[in-house]
Amino acid sequence: MKNLKRTLSMALCLILMLTLTCVPAMAAGSVKIGVLVSDATSSEALAFRAYYTEYIAKAYDVEFIYSDELTDAAGEKSSIENFIVNNCKAVISFSSFDRPAQIEQCDAAGIYYAVATGTLTDEQYEEYKDYEYYVGAIGPSMDIEFQTGYDMAAYYIDQGVTRFGMFGGGVPYYVDMHIYRAAGMLTAMVEKGGEGANYKGADNAGAIIGQIYADGGIDTGKIGNLELVAYVGGYDFNDAWFGKLAQMVGTEGIEAIITVGSGVDVLGGFVAGSGVKLATVDSFTPAMGEAMDSGILDYMAGKFAASIGPIFAATYDAIQGSPIRDSEGCALALGQGFWVATDSEQFQQYSAVDSSNTDPAYTREILDQYAAPGVSFEDFAAFVSQYSFDEIVTLKK
Amino acid sequence: MKKPSLIRNLLLSLLIPCTVFLVLEMIAFAKGVRLFANADSWKLFFRAVANVTLTTFALSINLDSGRFDFSLGAVSMLSATVAGTLAQQWSIGPWLTLIVAIAVAALLGLVHGGVYVLTRIPPIIVSLGMALFFEGCAFAYTGGKGVSLVTRTDIIGFSRIGNYILVTVIAVSLIVLLFDYTRFGADYRALLSGQKIAVETGIREVGNALGCYAVSGALMGVVGFISLANTGSQQMSLNFGSIGIMFTAFLPMFIGGWIGRYINKRVGIMLGAVSMALISLAYARFDTASSVQSIISALLLVLFLIYLNNEYAILSRFRKKQEIKE
Repeated sequence: MKNLKRTLSMALCLILMLTLTCVPAMAAGSVKIGVLVSDATSSEALAFRAYYTEYIAKAYDVEFIYSDELTDAAGEKSSIENFIVNNCKAVISFSSFDRPAQIEQCDAAGIYYAVATGTLTDEQYEEYKDYEYYVGAIGPSMDIEFQTGYDMAAYYIDQGVTRFGMFGGGVPYYVDMHIYRAAGMLTAMVEKGGEGANYKGADNAGAIIGQIYADGGIDTGKIGNLELVAYVGGYDFNDAWFGKLAQMVGTEGIEAIITVGSGVDVLGGFVAGSGVKLATVDSFTPAMGEAMDSGILDYMAGKFAASIGPIFAATYDAIQGSPIRDSEGCALALGQGFWVATDSEQFQQYSAVDSSNTDPAYTREILDQYAAPGVSFEDFAAFVSQYSFDEIVTLKK
Repeated sequence: MKKPSLIRNLLLSLLIPCTVFLVLEMIAFAKGVRLFANADSWKLFFRAVANVTLTTFALSINLDSGRFDFSLGAVSMLSATVAGTLAQQWSIGPWLTLIVAIAVAALLGLVHGGVYVLTRIPPIIVSLGMALFFEGCAFAYTGGKGVSLVTRTDIIGFSRIGNYILVTVIAVSLIVLLFDYTRFGADYRALLSGQKIAVETGIREVGNALGCYAVSGALMGVVGFISLANTGSQQMSLNFGSIGIMFTAFLPMFIGGWIGRYINKRVGIMLGAVSMALISLAYARFDTASSVQSIISALLLVLFLIYLNNEYAILSRFRKKQEIKE
């Protein structure tokens, strides 16, 4: 009996505490949106978060509730449960451990769900495009990821570089976007490597993608008159892994290292002063700017922080009862690419726009035109497709 | 009683590192790869020796006293973050940055120890809490951005073989001095062999525990700085992302314990670290996949522990066979 009383008292205290903590939180923003993140520490993730919490939240009286750094599908599920309990009207997801389960869970709970900086696979889209609460996805499609890798490698091949190193990041963990970027790089080498060039017998994009998925890695070797002289994948952060990275930079005759991501963070210290050119996919942070100024970083493709503005606008429309659907009533599936900087001046120009918390790439004035009831699919799709720096500058004018 | 000869002890001390080296050299020969192919290989080897030696000291100082410490990686990360940020803001050189990292890490160790002695919560639980707390502090301190010093050639330039050797030699000497030739070390050993009796004889266990945490922290400060200087950046980790570093220290700690029968235990730990550094070098030179590395490292640890647990039985069986033959 005594134990029962004690348990009941504790439960009551807990309920009281939850109530007290929830009331001010609910008052902080009229609309709550949950955000699922599997990466809370990369510069790109931080830039996205700053755009939502420091610009959008103030501009639209919206409160963003972020999940912890998720590591698996179970974490996604419990975070969505937490969002539901917190009366969130929608979930914007940057986490992709189990997207179908996320969509199903949100649909069952009657809250909107959107994918930021990514896309569903074709099969997944066919399955969920008609779901009432699925807003859609805006981000680099796998084709755009592939093209990003292709452009990076082609940039150096066109400059006469013949001996490459490659950092594969999440390739061993089967991270799709990294595999597609790496496949794009290899495809560029095959296409520009002269007659008969191939990667382990594969001579087209589809076969190369298949080969990487089959191997879970990338092999070094000659690709026509070009050569992949060194490759390192994974994020082990142990002595052996750092040793492999140092070895790659020190490989005889290596001219450029093309990376699917995190190039400066993992290779910057080794590349400094080596004369090897470094290219990466990252974001327009001051640290990257310094690396480009000092010649450590030579080429950067980056998602801009405000690129997640349009998916917010679409989600906001849905919450307001006016979801954007195509002519067949299907959810959004729109591609959005990267900004590419190849010199310091260009980088600073992009960075100035990207890092601003008061005048970001997509301002409230721009988003207001689309975060409003009655926006047509065609207008919205045209807006999203204008993602290049020059197009956005024109939009801002 | 027959006194064991110095040469025999020295040979037995070098048995494990030499065997590891010979086995790896044979594999390298079979693969047509040179283990020490260039300056980068030597650099990797000495960096690994420094990192593993210091981490193993930091782990074993408290673990030998039953205080399991999950926060070593977080201390290393937070101290490198603070030192790296200050190096950026004040434009201080590598050695001063290293001193700042050591000071910050020692302070963090002291805080950790303070929480433990004040709350008397089991050390494993306290260390988990402190690991999360330090990870969170590092994240908050930099706004999650971490530290990037890739343009600071003076700090990146610290990553030299000479500096790694210097750091290792100084650390081993100081640890030997502190734990084998001072009152603090004598108290530490007395507490290890019988805490109740030691306390009753007037040894201050709280002060000794605090000292151990501070020394352990200071060592991780050096590890943090070595890592920062190596890549020029310090990435952030959350939700126990930093605890992996302590697992690199288990095998050398057990090897060190075994070698410690024949030579000073701290030197034994360093020789254990040399063995691990050779294995790390081999992983890099043979381009071993990380999954295979994990399997090999786990197997080596388990096999060594099986041997240690059954050493008497194995050796007596071996001796019996010898006697029958004779």
